[in-house]
Amino acid sequence: MSQAAVLVDRVTKRFAGHTAVHELSLEVPRGGIFGLLGPNGAGKTTTIRMMLHVITPDEGTITLLGGGGTGRDMAHRVGYLPEERGLYKKMRVLDHLIFLAEIRSLSRAEARKRSLQWLDRLGLHDWTNHRVEDLSKGMQQKVQFIGALLHEPELVILDEPFSGLDPVNSQVMKDVVVEIARSGRTVLFSTHIMEQAEKMCDRVAIIARGQKILDGSLTEIKAGAGRRHIALAYHRDAALAARVLEDRKLVAKADDYGASAEVELAPGADPDELLRSLVASGVGLSRFEIVEPSLQSIFIDRVGRDAATAPATEDAHA
Amino acid sequence: MRKVLAVIRREFETRVRTRAFVISTVLGPLFMGVLIFLPAYLANKETGAKPIVVVDAATGTFGDRVVAALQDSRIGPSSTGRPRYAVERVAADGRAQLVSDSLTALIGLARGPAGAPAGFVVLTDDALATGTVAYFGSNVGSLSDMESLRSTLRPVIQTERLVRERVDTAVVRRATAPIELQTSKITEGRVTGESGTSSFILAYVMSFILYISLLLYGIQVMSSVLEEKTSRIMEVLSSSLSPFQLMLGKVVGVGSVGLFQLGIWAAAALYLTANLVPVLRLLHLPAEAAADISVPNIPPALLIVFFTFFLLGFMLYASLYAAVGAMCSTQQDTQQAQQPVMIGIVAGFMCMFPVLNDPSGSMARTLSLIPFVAPFVTPLRYSIAPLPPSQLLMSMATTLAGVLAIIWLASRIYRVGILAYGKRPTFKELWGWIRTA
Repeated sequence: MSQAAVLVDRVTKRFAGHTAVHELSLEVPRGGIFGLLGPNGAGKTTTIRMMLHVITPDEGTITLLGGGGTGRDMAHRVGYLPEERGLYKKMRVLDHLIFLAEIRSLSRAEARKRSLQWLDRLGLHDWTNHRVEDLSKGMQQKVQFIGALLHEPELVILDEPFSGLDPVNSQVMKDVVVEIARSGRTVLFSTHIMEQAEKMCDRVAIIARGQKILDGSLTEIKAGAGRRHIALAYHRDAALAARVLEDRKLVAKADDYGASAEVELAPGADPDELLRSLVASGVGLSRFEIVEPSLQSIFIDRVGRDAATAPATEDAHA
Repeated sequence: MRKVLAVIRREFETRVRTRAFVISTVLGPLFMGVLIFLPAYLANKETGAKPIVVVDAATGTFGDRVVAALQDSRIGPSSTGRPRYAVERVAADGRAQLVSDSLTALIGLARGPAGAPAGFVVLTDDALATGTVAYFGSNVGSLSDMESLRSTLRPVIQTERLVRERVDTAVVRRATAPIELQTSKITEGRVTGESGTSSFILAYVMSFILYISLLLYGIQVMSSVLEEKTSRIMEVLSSSLSPFQLMLGKVVGVGSVGLFQLGIWAAAALYLTANLVPVLRLLHLPAEAAADISVPNIPPALLIVFFTFFLLGFMLYASLYAAVGAMCSTQQDTQQAQQPVMIGIVAGFMCMFPVLNDPSGSMARTLSLIPFVAPFVTPLRYSIAPLPPSQLLMSMATTLAGVLAIIWLASRIYRVGILAYGKRPTFKELWGWIRTA
C-alpha cells in the first residue's frame, strides 16, 4: 500500500479557447488530509472532475489508489462531493441515500442501515422520510455529504465542502473529515479559504491558472517561507499603526486587517526596532509575536494578487 | 448489473409513486369501461322517443307513408327496439307557412312545455319533385339524428315517386328492400365471427396506445435527463456510472413504467370482458345488453407482435428523447429541440391511414421496413390482414437494426451532452459530439 492515493501525472485539459489545467502533476499520499488550494478559476474543480473521470484529460494520466482503472471503475472505493451540489428534489431523503450508495455498489440492506446511522449522527433523523425539496440548503448539503461517505471509501474527494455552511454545520463536517483521516483513509478537499486549509491539512498544493505553484507538507512550506513574519494586534489607534507599517526599511509587506496585521520584515530589519516604533506610536499594542507565515500570506505572496482574480472564462463548462 | 438496476428501480419507483401515475392508471380503465358500457347503458336508459311533427301539405298518400315510416323507425333491432320517434301529424294543406311559424315558436325554448317537439318536417308535393325535404329543429347539429332521419325518409320518397308513376306497390316494396353487407373476418383459416369494424377498432386502438405512450413516456425520459442536468446531480451520477449505463437505466426504467401501466390496463380490460354479465348487473342492466357490446378477439400472436414493436418503438424514440434532454439546459430549449422527434412519432401515426386503406400494398410493405414508422405500421397490418412471416421478420430485423443504430447515436450525444451547459449545440457541434472518441 505504498502507492499514492492520487497520482496526477502531467495532466492537461483544454476547453474551447483556453487551457484550464496545464501539465499539472500532483501526488497525494495515503492517509491524512490534503488541501487543493487556489483562487477561483484556478482549475481546482477541473482537476477534481478529471480525477473522478467525469471529464477526461486531453493529455497525461491520473491514477487513483494505485491503479486498476479509471475513476469510474474505482467508484466503489472513492467518495465524491461535487462543487455543484445536486439531489433529486422529489425523492425522500432515505431513498435518495440508498440510491447513492447503490450506484457505488453497496447492497440495499447495508445502504439503509448506514444511511440511518449517518442521518442520526448528523442530526437529520427527523427528516428521514421527507422529500429532499423540504430540506434547507445546509441540510441538503449534509445529505449529499453523507451520500459521498456511505460506502466507506478509502479516498474521499470533496470540492469546496465548507462553502455555504453555517459555523455549526461547518464544525460537524470538519469533525467527520478529521475522523476519516484519523482512521487511516485519505481526504482530498479543495478550498480557496486558507484559514480552513491551514487548520486541517497535513499537506497542500497551491495551483493557479491551471499550474502548480507549490506543494508539500504544511511544515515544509512554512519553513521554506522563513521566519520573518510577525503577527500584530492593537486596540487603540489602527491609523497610527498603518503609518508605522508603511516604513519600507522595517516592513517588506504588510497584510493589514484593521485591528490586526501580519507583516513580513524587510531584509536585515530587526524585530525589536519594529516593536519600539509601534510602542512609541501609541497604537495600544496587544499582540506582538514572531510567527510562521500564515498560509494566506504565503498564498498571496506566491500566487500574486492579480491571479486571485481569475479571467472570466476560466471556469466555464465547455 | 447492480448499478443499472439501481437506476432502473429509482426511475420506476419515483414514477409509480406519483399521484399522476395513480390517477392516469385508474382513469384509463374507467375511460375504457365508459367506452364499452356507455352505449349499452344509454341504449337501455333512454326511454323517450323523440317527438317530431309532420307538417303535411302534400297531396295523396305521401304524408301517410312518411308518418308510417317514422313510426316504424326503431332504435336497435327492428323487431324488438324502441320507437325512435313520437310522431304527430298536422294537416296543413295550403297553409304550411302558417303552421311552420306557429311550430317554430314552440321549439328550442329553454323551458318549453313537456313533450314539445324537437323539430318538424314539412312535406309538400314540391319536395317530392325536387327531392329536398325541409326539416326545422333544435337538433339539426346532430349528425346522427340527421342521418337517421335522412335514411328513414329516402326510401319513402323513392316509393312515393314510383307509386305516382303507377308502379305496382308490391314491386316497389321488393325493389327498395334494403341491402346490407355482412362482413366476417377470417384469421388463420377460420371464420372468427368478428366483423370488419371490430378488427379495425382493435388496430386503431392499439396504434393509438402506442402513439400516446411514446409521446408521454418519451417526454418523461427527456425531462428526467433534463432534471438531472439542472439539479446538477449528473456529476455524482457520472462519477460512478458510465453514460451508457445511465441512459440504459433511464430508458428501461421509464419503459417498464409504461409496460406496467399497459399491463394494468390490459388486465382490467380482460377482467371486464370476462365478467360482462356481473358488471352489467352492477349497472342494473339486463344480461341481454351484452349483445350491444362488441368485444374484439385479440389473438395471442397479435399481442406478441404488438408488444415486440412497442418495445422496439419505445427504445428508439426514448433514446432520441434522452439525447434531446442531454442537448438542452432549460425546459424552453427542449420545446424546440424535441420537435424532430415528435414529428417522427406523429408521422408514424399518420402512416396508419394509408396502411388501413391497403394493408398489403407496396406502400404498406415499404413503410414496414422504415424503423421510425414500422412500430406503428407492422402491428396494424398484422391485425388487419395476415402478414407473411418473411415480411414480419424483415420488418422486425430492419427495425431492430435501426433501433440499435439510433441508440448508439443517441448515447454518443448523451455522453457529451449531460455535462454540457449553456447554449444548445448546432448541428455541426452535434456531429463533433458524435465523433469524439
